[in-house]
Amino acid sequence: MADASNLSRNPVILLRLALRLLWRDWQGGELRLLFLALVMAVTSVTGIALFTDRLESALVLESANMLAADRVVSGRQQPPRIWLDEARERGLRTAETLSFTSMAFSDTANVLVAAKAVSDSYPLRGELLVADQPFAEGVAADGGPPPGEVWLESRALAALNVEPGDTVYVGEAELRLGRVIILEPDRQQGGMVDSAGPRLMLNIADVPTTNVIQTGSRASYRYLFAGDIGQLDLFSTWLRDQSEGQYRLRDVRDESEEVSDALSRAESFLMLGSLFAVLLAGVAIALTARRYSERHFDYVAILKTLGCTSAEISRVYLLIQVMLAVGAILVGWVAGWLVHEGVLWLLRSIITVNLPAAGLQPFVLGSVTAFICLLSFALPPLLALKGTPPLRVLRKDIDPHISTRLPYLFGIGGSLVLIYWYSQDFFLTSVLVLSLAGIAVVLGAVSYLMLRTGSSIGMKAGSALKLAMSAVRRRRRQNILQVLVFSVTIMSLLILTLLRTDLIDDWEAQLPEDAPNHFMMNITQPQVEGIQNFLAENSIEANAFYPMISARVLSVNGEFLSRRDDDDQEGGRGTLTEAASEQAGPVITDSADEGREESGDSGESEESGDSGESEESGDSGESGASGDSGASGEGADVEDGPRRTPTRQVTWAQSLPPDNQVVSGRWWAEDFAPGEVSVEEQYAGWLDIELGDTVQFEVNQQSVEAEVTSLRSVRWDNMQPNFYFIFSPGTLDHLGATFLSTVLMEQEQKILLNDLLRMFPTIVVIEIDALIEQIRNIIAQVTSAIELISFLVLFSGALVLLACVNATLDERFHENAILRTLGAGRRLILGSLLFEFATIGVMAGIIATVGAEVSLYYLQEQVFEQEFRFHFWVWLAGPLLGMVTIAALGVNSTRRVVNSSPLSVLRGVS
Amino acid sequence: MIRTEKLVKSVNTSEGKLVILKGINLQIEAGDSVAIVGASGSGKSTLLGLMAGLDGATSGDVYLDGHSLAGLDEEQRAVLRGQLVGFVFQSFQLLPSLTALENVMLPIELKGDPDADPKARQLLTRVGLQDRVKHYPNQLSGGEQQRVAIARAFASEAKILFADEPTGNLDTSTGARVIDLLFALNQEYGTTLVLVTHDRRLAQRCDRIVSLVAGEIAGDEAVGAALNG
Repeated sequence: MADASNLSRNPVILLRLALRLLWRDWQGGELRLLFLALVMAVTSVTGIALFTDRLESALVLESANMLAADRVVSGRQQPPRIWLDEARERGLRTAETLSFTSMAFSDTANVLVAAKAVSDSYPLRGELLVADQPFAEGVAADGGPPPGEVWLESRALAALNVEPGDTVYVGEAELRLGRVIILEPDRQQGGMVDSAGPRLMLNIADVPTTNVIQTGSRASYRYLFAGDIGQLDLFSTWLRDQSEGQYRLRDVRDESEEVSDALSRAESFLMLGSLFAVLLAGVAIALTARRYSERHFDYVAILKTLGCTSAEISRVYLLIQVMLAVGAILVGWVAGWLVHEGVLWLLRSIITVNLPAAGLQPFVLGSVTAFICLLSFALPPLLALKGTPPLRVLRKDIDPHISTRLPYLFGIGGSLVLIYWYSQDFFLTSVLVLSLAGIAVVLGAVSYLMLRTGSSIGMKAGSALKLAMSAVRRRRRQNILQVLVFSVTIMSLLILTLLRTDLIDDWEAQLPEDAPNHFMMNITQPQVEGIQNFLAENSIEANAFYPMISARVLSVNGEFLSRRDDDDQEGGRGTLTEAASEQAGPVITDSADEGREESGDSGESEESGDSGESEESGDSGESGASGDSGASGEGADVEDGPRRTPTRQVTWAQSLPPDNQVVSGRWWAEDFAPGEVSVEEQYAGWLDIELGDTVQFEVNQQSVEAEVTSLRSVRWDNMQPNFYFIFSPGTLDHLGATFLSTVLMEQEQKILLNDLLRMFPTIVVIEIDALIEQIRNIIAQVTSAIELISFLVLFSGALVLLACVNATLDERFHENAILRTLGAGRRLILGSLLFEFATIGVMAGIIATVGAEVSLYYLQEQVFEQEFRFHFWVWLAGPLLGMVTIAALGVNSTRRVVNSSPLSVLRGVS
Repeated sequence: MIRTEKLVKSVNTSEGKLVILKGINLQIEAGDSVAIVGASGSGKSTLLGLMAGLDGATSGDVYLDGHSLAGLDEEQRAVLRGQLVGFVFQSFQLLPSLTALENVMLPIELKGDPDADPKARQLLTRVGLQDRVKHYPNQLSGGEQQRVAIARAFASEAKILFADEPTGNLDTSTGARVIDLLFALNQEYGTTLVLVTHDRRLAQRCDRIVSLVAGEIAGDEAVGAALNG
């Protein structure tokens, strides 16, 4: 009779049973928390994936505008033309530009311009805004200037004293001034050649007529590409195989370091946040699934007495889970979509580009997450159900054997899969999992110790407090788990909140509202006062004028530096100051002696006297000209001989500049003496310079010695003048420096640049307002994303807390019903519940605070590259938050204990 | 219909092995109603559990309608239960999330019978609960819940009905009415009834009373007749 045919019951019957159980459990509220937790996991993953997906596309587009293309190949020589043909064959759009420095003449004046010849299809991304008048509102041009025409930036019109229609001479070419350039998408991209002066744009077909470009001329060739991302990637790979290192391939990611820093931090944060949200949802799922299965032991026993086999029971409960998951996925998709739409709506004024449509991937991500969560967190307790012995119908005390290890193994396994899947980073996964496991062990031990306050006999039902304390101890095992879950939850919330606050604070500090957005360089000593007066007359606040001079380390304590393996890498970062000074550097000499412009050198390398230098001199100038950061090190390719260090822009100052901190040694006091130098700490490390060393510099062909009296930390991303070396006043003063200063100019004040440049034609103004604006936009977008994820994690956390409180609800109900039948009053029971939960909450809060600070230390130092700050207020807020939240949640959930009749509770009717 | 052979059940406790049943030999014919009586801890519920295939014996065997249970695993026993056995429990054991009707329909549906609804309604009418079909167990009194349980037990058209202290949770008069119903249906369906109780008066209503003392059969008497061995 027990043959195979009887073992396989009609699946429709099981499906109907599953549906009925699902529907009833749903109505009874048993499944709601489990469902919500699942929805939460799907929502956070789908919503965040949708958001980051589209945001990233938006940022890429926006950055592409800054590049005027998706990919750019640049070089000192013209790249092979076949590359353009190849790109077109692959369906990509192409354009080319050629930048060079030249003098432009009108009939009455001349000016050094940053000339740029462009092909007809330029720009491929972004818009070239032009007008008929200087400083007017621009309209998007259809392309670059047609042959025979030049377009000039507003301030060049004033400098040349011309109007549209007038003639402008470039080299041997005579060109008509067509339109005025208001905004050029990739204006910030160039190195020196693009920043030497105001922009003059001409058609690339006119370049031969100018006869300006000769063999050896300093020019920057660029090929621009745009099109389908997949094709671009394939093409980039092809290009890398073709090129032998003389050309540089860039995409939008390589652009601004400040932007990509902010982006990668934000991505780390979002990833961490969605991980937290999903893992917390996972814990909530595990807790609710366990409770659900415990409440279904009787069901299974009854079903078994009615003839259901274990396999059928498993199938029924699996079906229930699958239906639940499908429902949760659908709801989660919609919720995720709404969340991301909501945020996009909030950001509508910031996101200026048209967002590309979302792909399917975020939805797949959400669905797979739901199933992974269910499989790893909910399956073990649900599978245990099938082991319920049918004899339970006769003897209530027989429970199925639920392995205590299996759920943890499954949970940890699932978490591993999820973390690795999201991060695609094996190291990060290992670190995260190990730290989570470590934290769990430590927290478990600590909570055990905290709860192990000696043996206790009975319930101590005399007062609410004593009753609560005895309950805390009696349920020690469960309470350790509760404290653990609560503290992990609170810890996650604290970590995210603190990280978010620190990140945003950091960014705000990086670019305060009044951050200067123009650099003025190449200012001579006599000009300083005039510029200060000019600024004062026009109500523009003047900032400090930093003297600036090129210097290079020759030896330390009388010994040449020995070569290092990492010489090829940057010994520091190319800061804005460095980049700007690179741009300004040659102009200092060129403007005084126009004839040297084409010689292709920045002046000091021929005289350096180091072996192996002569063959390098040509390159050293070029690397600066091509816009590479100043640290890229001339002479890095030298095979033998002493180590050659890069030339740096250095300054001297009496007081420590803002955003600089002395980390060792001391800043010179009021009675400073010449011959002291303060070095940026990491750079000092790279050069093996220590405090007290005597360093010999080469400055303007002269040797200068200084003793290192302090090492500094410098905030590099503040878009302000920063220096690796700062000398004490009197050390370099006699060597002839130029000055650098910054100003904040609003859009409407920019026309003053013309007057300023007319009065001081030799100074160079570098406009970084567009860059600052772009960074601000990106940071604002990223901040919103961070707010969103924090909110989602908060919600997941609340779910866990609720699930965790519910997990012990049955026992509490039963125990308190007995107490009430024995005459305990509402006050006593409610008071005891309040104390019990508050105690657990305080413990969880304390543990969470410690855990959060430790984790933050790691995260900020290692992942976010921030400086770790101790958060004093959290030490009060953490425990308080734990106490209030857990007590409120707990009492709210168990309030029914005193409101329902003890009899109904004891009869199991409640 | 039911036969046990040297049925032994023992469990391991912290104080050593505890033998609950010490080699029970018992034969129950089809259509019989047998009461198993004994003091608390005498092993009567354990015996019922083994005979119904809810648990496995330590040694010995149980034959249900000719099928040996000894060689079967829990899965095969479950199938056998579904086909042969119905239950009525002291604590009713209704599924709380199903209505009275759905509870009764469940075993019929599990058999794959498409007429579960009318059959269940008919049975509920038979036990006098035609007006309570849509009620959930927690909306029914103890007596009503037990009547639903009886309807469910007969719904599977089982050949054997096991009842474990069916009146244990009911007051005397409700208990009496439930028992009347149980015996009446038993008569109608021609079911073999095995009833575990410590209530002598209830036991008297069966054809035969088996007394257990400390895991052994201490008496086996036909009610109102001579001892039949």
